[in-house]
Amino acid sequence: MVTITINGKEVEVPEGSTIIEAFYQNKQDIAHYCWHPGLSIAGVCRLCMVEIEGNPRLQIACNTQVMPGMKVNNQSAKVKDAVKWGLDFHLINHPLDCPICDQAGECGLQDQYMKYGQYDSEMGEGKVKKHKVVDLGPRVVLDSERCILCSRCVRFTDEVSKTNELGIFNRGDRAEVGTFDGKPLNNNYSQNVVDICPVGALTSKDFRFRQRVWFLKDAETICTGCSTGCSVKVYHNKEGLFRVKPVYNPAVNGHWMCDQGRDVYKFVNKDARLLDAKVVSGGKTEHMQATELAKRLGTTLKGAGKSVALVLTGAYTVEEYDAILNYFKSEVQTSNVYHWINNPENFDTFDGLLLRGDRNPNTKGLAEALSKNGFNGTWKELTDGISTGSIKTVVVAGPENIALFPDLKAKVSELARAAKLIWLGAAKSADLEALTGDVALLPTKSYVEKSGTFVNHAGLRQTVKRVTTIVPGALSLTEAVAAMKGEDVLAQPKQQAGVASPTVGAGRVNNEFTLTRGVW
Amino acid sequence: MASQSGSSSIARPVVIEQVKRPEASSNWFLPGILLGLVLTGKNLVLNLVEAILATFGIVKRDKMPTVNYPEEKYEYSPRFKGNHVLTVKKDGSLRCTACMLCATNCPADCIKIVASEHDDPSVEKFPISYEIDILRCVFCGFCEEACPVDAIRMGPEWQTPGLNGSEFQYDIKQLAYRPQLKGGIVSVLDEKERHEAGI
Repeated sequence: MVTITINGKEVEVPEGSTIIEAFYQNKQDIAHYCWHPGLSIAGVCRLCMVEIEGNPRLQIACNTQVMPGMKVNNQSAKVKDAVKWGLDFHLINHPLDCPICDQAGECGLQDQYMKYGQYDSEMGEGKVKKHKVVDLGPRVVLDSERCILCSRCVRFTDEVSKTNELGIFNRGDRAEVGTFDGKPLNNNYSQNVVDICPVGALTSKDFRFRQRVWFLKDAETICTGCSTGCSVKVYHNKEGLFRVKPVYNPAVNGHWMCDQGRDVYKFVNKDARLLDAKVVSGGKTEHMQATELAKRLGTTLKGAGKSVALVLTGAYTVEEYDAILNYFKSEVQTSNVYHWINNPENFDTFDGLLLRGDRNPNTKGLAEALSKNGFNGTWKELTDGISTGSIKTVVVAGPENIALFPDLKAKVSELARAAKLIWLGAAKSADLEALTGDVALLPTKSYVEKSGTFVNHAGLRQTVKRVTTIVPGALSLTEAVAAMKGEDVLAQPKQQAGVASPTVGAGRVNNEFTLTRGVW
Repeated sequence: MASQSGSSSIARPVVIEQVKRPEASSNWFLPGILLGLVLTGKNLVLNLVEAILATFGIVKRDKMPTVNYPEEKYEYSPRFKGNHVLTVKKDGSLRCTACMLCATNCPADCIKIVASEHDDPSVEKFPISYEIDILRCVFCGFCEEACPVDAIRMGPEWQTPGLNGSEFQYDIKQLAYRPQLKGGIVSVLDEKERHEAGI
């Protein structure tokens, strides 16, 4: 450890770290546009200037290592002047289109200008015009005029995704980020360049213009797109969820997340959800409250024994599995419990960075719960049971993100052969709506609407807290089981006991894009 | 914040002020009614006389202190903050860039904008829907103050009757292209001129 002084305060930092890391570790404010903790050092933005005592010139903090007894300062008049002139250079060709720019409200350049700038520009020349609204690929749009050439995106495609799509072309104030020979930026990690862009040069097609960032609240949770279980932040308001961004978690995902994980929020919003409970029986359809349906199901299921089978998918929390398995073991008194694996052929694949073939957040948690209760039924036993008529009622805790279940249609028709199908699920599905037999549909909560634990592929247990309510009538499996037992379930349950800490995963720290906005 | 913490730490002497109630004479409503009748009567007589004189062309009609509403309408000064206007560019398209600063600044939370991508890359972003719930609006003028591009103004119109709630939900058609605006009010801020000047 080395002791240095930052702005008059003595701090200890590991030997060999850079000054900017020392600032970062000790939660001191320092501007940085080209430096990113997950990327190599470029030293091109010249805005992390610090004054080092005994050194006549200012140094950049990102590429200077700490020395014992070093006294650094980024608050002095000399630094402020340097940052002001640095900003003046950055803003020479930067357009004043904050009203159109998607980054307005979380733009580093905007913040820095309000802190150190607010000068009259010394430039007498017109601005250099570059390309606007450049379609870089299926998910990202580039505005070269806003780009400050920090090269973060280029380094990301070189170092992290290793796809090398982006480069900086031309020189001086004609330099632009672009793709070589029109090759699109098309990899599964492309939207990370939008996150790391310190200005609004790279914007996400999906989020572009849909909301201003200051209308959104954010909350930390876990991505349920695959069994990696990345730590993420979801941004939402009363209209639903709008985007997902990664949160730094060295134990799971580092700084990044994949583009497929970013789409998970779409399956949580109201238009994709099962909104109310429905019973189809004898050609008649009846709509009712979910709790009402669960109570009715409870009376038919109680003590029904071996004629009832339970099918589970890996989309639910450990607590929910415990509740429903206990219920089936003790009250329904059946051991016909089966695990629906959606894509067995590529279940164990891994793309080398984050995305796994197992597209369920809690497969491991489900396997643990099943083996703990001694359930080891195979899918063949279920289909045979339905064919011979020994299984009359099938209860399914269905998938949340049905787009990741290519076998959904086949499975639904397979299970609907049973005399009665009870489907607990979050997603609205045309295959389910089309069923005409004896069917009951019960809406369940999505991962942002309940608290609980997910176990990822490596066995790491991560807790999530409830973020918001999207479908008010939906129940979690725990609540559905409680209602089946005949208990009164509140539409809006109290916070579950034992999930007190908002921290998710081990070793997580706040990411650098965290914004402090007004109290809502 | 400083004054709040100060008041909690320093004990202030308690001053009890006696509230002065209106005197008994203010309960006499008859003089007020009579005064009102006198005013109405005066205007009635003056109007009658002037109307007769005006019919013979002796005096001008606008000298009259009252107007024949709704056939005649009183116009306020252009500075009056009445009904909203969305300004247009020279080609007649909306000036608004859908930055939503007006909606952010609105204390009554009555502006709802849906932005979308424009086909023209030089425009980039524009509102596909801009709605003001005029029954919620408090006519404070914060929206025009917040607007960076002179896209929303408050005009001198103030007569806004309607038969049902939907008539008070002003949309783009009403705000920018209502017949009274005769094709729309052109914004003073022109993007094209700004680009040509290299700003």
